[in-house]
Amino acid sequence: MSTTAGGSNPEYVTARVRSRRAALFSDEEYRKLIRMGPAEIARFMEESEYETEINALGARHSGVDLIEYALNRNLAKHFDDLLDWAEGRLYDLIARYLRKFDAWNVKTVIRGIYSDTAREEVETDLIRAGEFSGRLLDQLLDAGSIEDVTELLDGTIFAEPLRDAYDEYEESGVLVPLENAVDRAFYEQLIEGLDVNEATQLYHEFLQAEIDFRNVRNALRLARSGADIDPSEYYIEGGRLFSAAELSSLAANPDELVQHLRDSPYGDDLSQALDELETAESLIEFERALEAALLEYSDRLGIVHPLSVAPVISYILAKEREVDNIRAIARGREAGLSEEEIEEELVIL
Amino acid sequence: MMETFSQIALQAEGAAPALEPTAAAALAVGLAAFGAGYAERGIGAAAMGAIAEDESLFVNGLILTVLPETLVILALVVVFLV
Repeated sequence: MSTTAGGSNPEYVTARVRSRRAALFSDEEYRKLIRMGPAEIARFMEESEYETEINALGARHSGVDLIEYALNRNLAKHFDDLLDWAEGRLYDLIARYLRKFDAWNVKTVIRGIYSDTAREEVETDLIRAGEFSGRLLDQLLDAGSIEDVTELLDGTIFAEPLRDAYDEYEESGVLVPLENAVDRAFYEQLIEGLDVNEATQLYHEFLQAEIDFRNVRNALRLARSGADIDPSEYYIEGGRLFSAAELSSLAANPDELVQHLRDSPYGDDLSQALDELETAESLIEFERALEAALLEYSDRLGIVHPLSVAPVISYILAKEREVDNIRAIARGREAGLSEEEIEEELVIL
Repeated sequence: MMETFSQIALQAEGAAPALEPTAAAALAVGLAAFGAGYAERGIGAAAMGAIAEDESLFVNGLILTVLPETLVILALVVVFLV
């Protein structure tokens, strides 16, 4: 397999990843969690995988915040481990996806500066899982203005797009251009320069699916909100589902968009979700179905190519889902939702 | 018996073979060891990963790691044949 070339070590990483994957919460445990209150969930987590984080943060936070920060910190720890283990080409492939968290951190810092939030509060919201070093993140936290942030990011993929978007931000005074620039930088580097061969073919397809789903989601949201925005402004290159022009015309007409999806290669995986979308008014259901479809897809990849980046990606997605699920349960309980309602919020395979 | 064969062959050709039988056998064992080493590289890496996550897998990991060593043992038989 070609991923073994160039000093990468998929055997080691996949062995560790498979073990950690097995340690994720099962259906059974979710069923228990749904019946618990926030304090009980925290206690349950203390006896599981999340012990260290809950203990470290328990003194400073409580309730749902404690759960949320512990989840983020645990996620960061595991994903940092992945980058620690991986070498060579495998590192490059994993880092592509994990830069998602760099994008998240950059956006969080910018938002913090924009809204004059205290350093500590921004810090707790960071997820230190991406490629940025701890030192860079600390410097970003200390930055006083958005220009400083851009300067600190020199040499990363985000510097150039941020600088380009800065004028627009000055003119309009809203953060949207900057946030779009960050997101776009992330999505464009996902596929860029990925040399496609037999083993990375599937990874390439997976990334395309990720971009396609993001485009679909954006198009649907725009179509539903009825806002007068050109969808092609939010279009991300690299997917295989539609071109910018196609997306613009389809976003205006949701029925055609659904039909287009049904005829696409994802049609089978999404058919149930599409049926629901046609009948239901809510986009939330559909977005959840997209996530489940992506998760299932990545699982299949891991079985087809056991010694490649695929199992790692499937673990990353599963872990993200777990964190989202636990957060949804905790927030749901706090808001007083019923057990059935919370269960609907979860993405479980 | 091999020796007599090769001696007959030698007499027929009247020249020394490029590779003596013992040298060829040594090469065979060496190549087999190389193959075993390559196989153990992947298994060893995976076993270390598994052991790092769960120490009770140490024995299993060790056994699986040295399994390709049988290749060398079988190749060693060649040495006794020549």
